[in-house]
Amino acid sequence: MADDKKPRALATQAAAKIPKFVRGNMSATLKAKEEGKKVAYAYINDGQDEIMRAMDIVPAWGESFSGVCAAKRDAEQYLQKAESDNFSRSLCTYATCTLGFDMLREEMGGEMPPGAPWGGMGRPDMIIGSGQQLCDPRFKWPQATQHYLQDVPVFVGSMYYPPWDPNMDHKGQEKIYVKYATEELRACVSFCEKHIGKKMDWDKLAALVDLTDRTWDIFIDTYELRKAIPTPMDTGDAMNTMVPLTFNLGTQEAYDFYADLNLELRQKIEQKQGVADEEKYRILWGAGLPSWFALGDFQYFNSKGAVFPVETTYRNAEKVERLNLPKTNDPLEHIAWRWVRFWTHWYDKARNRPGSIPKVERIIEYIEDYKCDGVVFHSAFSCRSWHAGIVQQAEILRKIYKDIPVLIMEGDIVDISSYNEADTHNRIDAFIEALETVRSKGN
Amino acid sequence: MKGKKMMEQYGNGLALAEKHYSQYGSRAKALKAEGRKVIGYLSALAPVEIITAAGIIPLRLKGNVSEAITKADAHMETIVCPFIRNVFDTALKGKYDFLDGMVLPHQCDSIDRTNDVWSYNLNLPYWHFLNFPHLTDDPSIEFTKSILRIFIDTLEKYTGNAITDEALVQAVKAHNENRRVMRELYSLRKADYPLISGAEMMKVLVAAMSLPVEESSALIGDVIKEVKLRGVPNGTSLSRIMLIGDQIDDVAIVETIESAGANLVMDDLSIGSKMYWADVDITPDPVQGIAERYLKKLKLPTTCITAGNNYQENLEARFGHIKQNIKDFKVDGVVLFIYKFCDPYGFEVPAMKSFIETAGVPVLYLEDEYSSSTLPRMKTRVEAFLEMIA
Ligand code: SF4
Ligand code: SF4
Repeated sequence: MADDKKPRALATQAAAKIPKFVRGNMSATLKAKEEGKKVAYAYINDGQDEIMRAMDIVPAWGESFSGVCAAKRDAEQYLQKAESDNFSRSLCTYATCTLGFDMLREEMGGEMPPGAPWGGMGRPDMIIGSGQQLCDPRFKWPQATQHYLQDVPVFVGSMYYPPWDPNMDHKGQEKIYVKYATEELRACVSFCEKHIGKKMDWDKLAALVDLTDRTWDIFIDTYELRKAIPTPMDTGDAMNTMVPLTFNLGTQEAYDFYADLNLELRQKIEQKQGVADEEKYRILWGAGLPSWFALGDFQYFNSKGAVFPVETTYRNAEKVERLNLPKTNDPLEHIAWRWVRFWTHWYDKARNRPGSIPKVERIIEYIEDYKCDGVVFHSAFSCRSWHAGIVQQAEILRKIYKDIPVLIMEGDIVDISSYNEADTHNRIDAFIEALETVRSKGN
Repeated sequence: MKGKKMMEQYGNGLALAEKHYSQYGSRAKALKAEGRKVIGYLSALAPVEIITAAGIIPLRLKGNVSEAITKADAHMETIVCPFIRNVFDTALKGKYDFLDGMVLPHQCDSIDRTNDVWSYNLNLPYWHFLNFPHLTDDPSIEFTKSILRIFIDTLEKYTGNAITDEALVQAVKAHNENRRVMRELYSLRKADYPLISGAEMMKVLVAAMSLPVEESSALIGDVIKEVKLRGVPNGTSLSRIMLIGDQIDDVAIVETIESAGANLVMDDLSIGSKMYWADVDITPDPVQGIAERYLKKLKLPTTCITAGNNYQENLEARFGHIKQNIKDFKVDGVVLFIYKFCDPYGFEVPAMKSFIETAGVPVLYLEDEYSSSTLPRMKTRVEAFLEMIA
């Protein structure tokens, strides 16, 4: 995400603004101390964004920091540092990258390690994790960090969603999940109140929850403009434009960003301005976090006339009206419903197609809505959360839908040692050939 | 009782343990042929009491470290924990074809994110993903009670029989008794010359998790009687090692440690002491006691313990039991054996290692596969470690 490279000619203006966003988020953590604000290590998709923003806590996003290190191809020193204290190289490299950084900073008596990208992240006053269903590092990473920052208090909340089971009605279970998530969010509020020494402003929180609803909506409305042919924006850009949704949720800046992007995409559509010089193939990024050190691969696809009008990755939002959320006056309960329903959103569709699963339904929906010719997945070795089950998704997709060309690329998010550009490009070439074969058969 | 009859047939506990170890699951398979239902489960988090109370035989699933993975890779990524991949491969090869169903507790990403893969490919009549939370606070206990009730509900629908509170209490008592006898067997390892070797113990542990609970307890009781008759050997005592890890269920690893010149006298494994140290309390609502045992008392790194007023107290809450066992079993050194791609255990390594070392006990950390092919490499490192602590 957001490295220093010059924007591509056909990229959106909005994407070019992202480095400033990321840099701003990182420097906010450094400035916070001077302003008397508290900094919290935070982890994305936690449901806790609005709570932190309402309490003026400045989040320091580990995933963002590691992504920047990777994009600058500067993560190795931190990964090695973590490895020197027995963190395995097979663990989530977002986590081990920040752990190595924390270890270095503590060794230097709290001084910023020289050369830390974009000035580095501020030392946290607290760590706010969530033992949720997203991944194990949600709750192990905070614990591991505290080993080096022993004076920093840790909170771990929880947020789950009913498991997919074709024989069970998840709707009957949702209330249990929402009740639990709401109580955990309340515990998060209490923890924050205790450590910043002031009470939650519930009106402010309610306003931010409403702002987030509107941000989810405008985000989806904007991304759906990419259905246009030629598509005005592809996944290469979306890996940047996800930043406000992912790291700035509950802020006016995030909303405004998508409002601007919306206008820009409309203009591009009007002018029939596409991502590739000639749009030949439309591909769905079916799953997986990208290799942040190899975002140039998207341009390689573009150079072959292949564009990505849609992706599942970082599209962690849905139009709120489609989620049909029960009414509640409790903003925390609203947050809980919003997330639980987001995760269960494709369950009904999957139930209606025997042999399907929600993740595959989502893929089919996007293939059809965005008129895609093929699917690319990226399998990052250090993260099981998004990357285990991809082979199965591809298998089910082919079985219950159609024999669509699929490419599974293998690599990592941060660890560049897993990457070989020539091999990757060869595999992309072969995939493009497969797309071409299907096309010529169809003609 | 059938278990007793079988033991008479084989004469002694250790031989029976050996049989059930080498022909893993054979008893469950035989009972299935007699019309019983069998449900396989993964991990120490599966509440076996509930399966037993449903009149079903719970069978903990294990893989085979000597068997190369040949079928699983077509469906399951190699970034998944090697244990999980191996068990899945074993299942795909038909070793567990007699199962009526499976329950996968939400222990870690390797299980959570492959639930679909297992259910789709194995296509068993009964399937359940038990969504255990990672926290141990009060809302998590309430939530766990709810998901346990959903689990109970699905089993009732599957068998067509109600699971009464009385049946649950009976099952709790039977499994507590199983844990009690296993703890008694463990205590025979405290002596300067442990009455049972680590390798023998591993076979008993594995056999015990493959039998209906009463048969399992009878087997352990028989082993106790048998090894108590052993005399104390002459000679010098060997270094006393504790093995820490999750699903280490093969004697090859233990033999690697013991053949390097040590006695494995204690473990903190999820098929070993972690399973047997904590009982379920008999509570007015039996589901309450079950929820508390699995969430609060079972010390797995996959449950996030946030107790304590500061970091040191937190470490005590998480790993204090290990220090206690190091003392009780007079442990000289610890082998921390963690599977590659295991985030829950992997992220704890520095904290756990330094915590144990503060007790003056050295730790050898090994990251490895679930495969006998890598054991020679491990043996070299264990030998060097033993030399260091001798
Ligand atoms: S989702 Fe994956 S990459 Fe992100 S923190 Fe979790 S394990 Fe790491
Ligand atoms: S070893 Fe780790 S990854 Fe494997 S099943 Fe156990 S907790 Fe999960």
